[in-house]
Amino acid sequence: MLAKYVARRFLASLIVVLGVTAITLALMKTTSGSYVPGIDLNPALRPEDIARLRTQLGLDEPPQVWYATWLWNVIHGDFGRSMIDGSRVTDHIFERLPNTLELTATAIVIGVLVAVPLGVIGALRRGSKADHGLTVVSVAGFAVPQFWMGLMLILIFSVTLEQHGLPWLPSSGAFSAFQGGDLLDRVQHLILPATVLSFFYTSTWSRFIRSSMLEVLSQDYIRTARAKGMSERRVVYLHGLRNALIPLITLIGLELPGLVSGGLVVEVVFGWPGIGKLAFERALQYDYTTVMGVTFFATLLVIAGNLLADLLYGVLDPRIRYG
Amino acid sequence: MSRDEDAGDSGFERFEHFLEQWSRRDFLKRTGGAAAYVAFLAGGVEFLEACAGGGGTQSATPKKGGHVVEGNITDIRTLNSMLSSDTASNQVIGLMFDGLLNQKKNGDLIGAIAQDVPKPSSDGLTYTFKLRDNLKWSDGQAITADDVKFTYALAYDPQYKDFASPRRGDLSKYIASIDTPDPKTVVVKTTQVYAPFLASHGLYGILPKHVLGNLDGKALNSAEFNSGPTVVNGPFKFKSWDKGQQVTLERNDSYWGGAPYLDQWIVKVLPDSVALTNQLKTGELDIGPVDPGQFDNLKTTESVTTTEFPVPTFTFYAYNLNPDTKAGKLFGDKAVRQALLFALNRKQIVDAVFFGHGKVANSVEPPTSWAYKDKPKILYTFDKAKAESLLDGAGWAKGADGIRAKGGLKLKFDMITNAGNKQRESMLQVMQQSWKDIGVEATPSLIQFPQLVSQIVNIRTFDVFLVGFNWSNDPDEAPLYHSRNAVPGGFNGADFKNDQVDSILDQALGTLDKAKRKQLYEQFQDIMSEEVPSPVVLFNTGIYGWNKRVQGTDFGSFNQFGNRPWAHTVWVTDGK
Repeated sequence: MLAKYVARRFLASLIVVLGVTAITLALMKTTSGSYVPGIDLNPALRPEDIARLRTQLGLDEPPQVWYATWLWNVIHGDFGRSMIDGSRVTDHIFERLPNTLELTATAIVIGVLVAVPLGVIGALRRGSKADHGLTVVSVAGFAVPQFWMGLMLILIFSVTLEQHGLPWLPSSGAFSAFQGGDLLDRVQHLILPATVLSFFYTSTWSRFIRSSMLEVLSQDYIRTARAKGMSERRVVYLHGLRNALIPLITLIGLELPGLVSGGLVVEVVFGWPGIGKLAFERALQYDYTTVMGVTFFATLLVIAGNLLADLLYGVLDPRIRYG
Repeated sequence: MSRDEDAGDSGFERFEHFLEQWSRRDFLKRTGGAAAYVAFLAGGVEFLEACAGGGGTQSATPKKGGHVVEGNITDIRTLNSMLSSDTASNQVIGLMFDGLLNQKKNGDLIGAIAQDVPKPSSDGLTYTFKLRDNLKWSDGQAITADDVKFTYALAYDPQYKDFASPRRGDLSKYIASIDTPDPKTVVVKTTQVYAPFLASHGLYGILPKHVLGNLDGKALNSAEFNSGPTVVNGPFKFKSWDKGQQVTLERNDSYWGGAPYLDQWIVKVLPDSVALTNQLKTGELDIGPVDPGQFDNLKTTESVTTTEFPVPTFTFYAYNLNPDTKAGKLFGDKAVRQALLFALNRKQIVDAVFFGHGKVANSVEPPTSWAYKDKPKILYTFDKAKAESLLDGAGWAKGADGIRAKGGLKLKFDMITNAGNKQRESMLQVMQQSWKDIGVEATPSLIQFPQLVSQIVNIRTFDVFLVGFNWSNDPDEAPLYHSRNAVPGGFNGADFKNDQVDSILDQALGTLDKAKRKQLYEQFQDIMSEEVPSPVVLFNTGIYGWNKRVQGTDFGSFNQFGNRPWAHTVWVTDGK
């Protein structure tokens, strides 16, 4: 049954991948005009150069032909080369992937570590000042745009602290330009962007844990546990939290594609050399092959993440069966 | 059951204990590290002050060792000199590859791997370059005339027609042949007299034939060399490229000009000009271009020195003159073009939008050019009354809605520029307001840069576009104003066609007599001041800032990006 379910989901996913990549290409084609990727207004360029470069890059082919060629190559494992720098698209993606994973995985871990205690506190002290305070903070987490929060953190923790001669944090890049890259250096660069990104996760998940915890605590087995004289701490941590955490795992499963794409805004603001920044910059320059490659890759991850979440559901909750 | 519970309980206790311990220890460690770091920084500043006390580059003796980090806000695309067409890439390429020639900051050409700037033959068609003695690639091989021939062949020889060089159009048109009678001599024959030849095409970084010579054009497009050159002839060698973040270069001991003082030169890519300025302040960056809007922010920083200079760049707007378009019917009237320019308070634009870092343009030649004429025939100082009388005189009368019209045609149009360029966005707003004041309705709209380029070179459904243009040190402006470049793909998107201008530009390209050329370009500037097909709003300035620990830089109009003949003499006072 399960194998059949996975196979059916896989076939449906293929259609999604085709749809997403075709739409991406159509959007680029209809808006690019006659732009040659990577070419600026340079007086040394002649009309012949622009025409020749367009032909060499295959930009004069009809979009459907271009798409078919691209797809054929992708099926054969060839994602092509960037139209701007001639490097392999897969090289671009795998060069940036570790940086993106570093940032988003850190943010997710911080998100869980902070969200769980906050959610528990909110549930145990429902209606208290602490609970109201947490509500305000998590609403802010939804409402405050990431780019704004990023700029504010830079202003406070890089610029202002530095001006006052206090310890400050670097504001861009994944490591120091000169002799950077050791653990402490990377951690220092990670703090600000990871804070912004995890703030969002924390806000979502702490609310989730809070309500999940409240629901669990009103269950019969909790009352039974209390009735048999178990300490409140055990009741809460062992019987309450463990059960309240199960749905969170699904929620994190759904965030998996965010591991790759989730940090686009944060990456751009903090000059973090990740996949989100790559996709953003290359989309603005109409680097067709790179944008298509990243899109394909990201779509696959979204689908895999969803599938994984669905399967996890079945594992964690025996009531769910696939058919 | 009870075992489980116990295990769980002690697990949680251990976890809590761990959290406590961890945070305390980590806090101590981190603050300790940060405090040490600050102490180091503070020490550095004191040391710098001590060094700077006497002042001046001259009094100090250069030290060997150390590094600089230079910032840039545009990502680097390629490290192959014959593929590159953008300043960010050229900047890094220029540190690794020397051409036949280089240029001083005033634009004068000087010899690089060629001993000297060659005198053209008497018919103006042949240039004979003599290479310096004992030139060596960074791998120890000799640099010969064959390398030069190979490099240029990439962009003119049909054998390499698949190589995606943006220089092919020009080089295949002007180069007839390249001969190498001996390893130290390169003879370039051109197909016709072409005055900007050396200035435009003499500075490309020479590539190593012994490394790339066995690849065909197609293979060269994607050669590993393009993102990690193994062999160089410039002051710095390639070390690593962390894509999206930085390129790290290191000293080339076999550089013909002498080994550089610095061990490393790092070029770092930043998200925007604000981040760049901040990092100049914090000392994370040593060198970087400064946005006019950030200048005051940086001026108060003691550790940073700045310099400002005119650059061969101007910001201009262009009217669509194609008579088949609606805009062409408005702008075909010279009085309209002139009146709109008179109505612009460009001094105010320079002061308010560029914070005074720029110069109101009187001419279409930048002031960095030797052919620049400061006062051409018509000067457009802000004069609203004159603008209105010009329009009145030409029959553009105000209608009931306050907008001028003539023969049922309203003086109403759209203006485009690229989104994200704050200065250009502000300029469109000022233009909209200034023109509204004389009864003209201009509506700004922002598009992405690629779309703007498409509009200029191909689609051409715009009414007015605003953009900047960066010139070389030759006064030729045919790309923008010659009618032959009004064809699709050319930069004369305004569709400006003037026989007299065409003929002057052609004559000036076809003679090597500088005095004659200067006279022709003065004539050209006079006509353009009368015709104003695409008025230059202002001449931009370049601003560079650098940490005071960096000595020996000499930024100027033509020594900004790719051409820095002094790169190997830059040094740092602290040797770090």
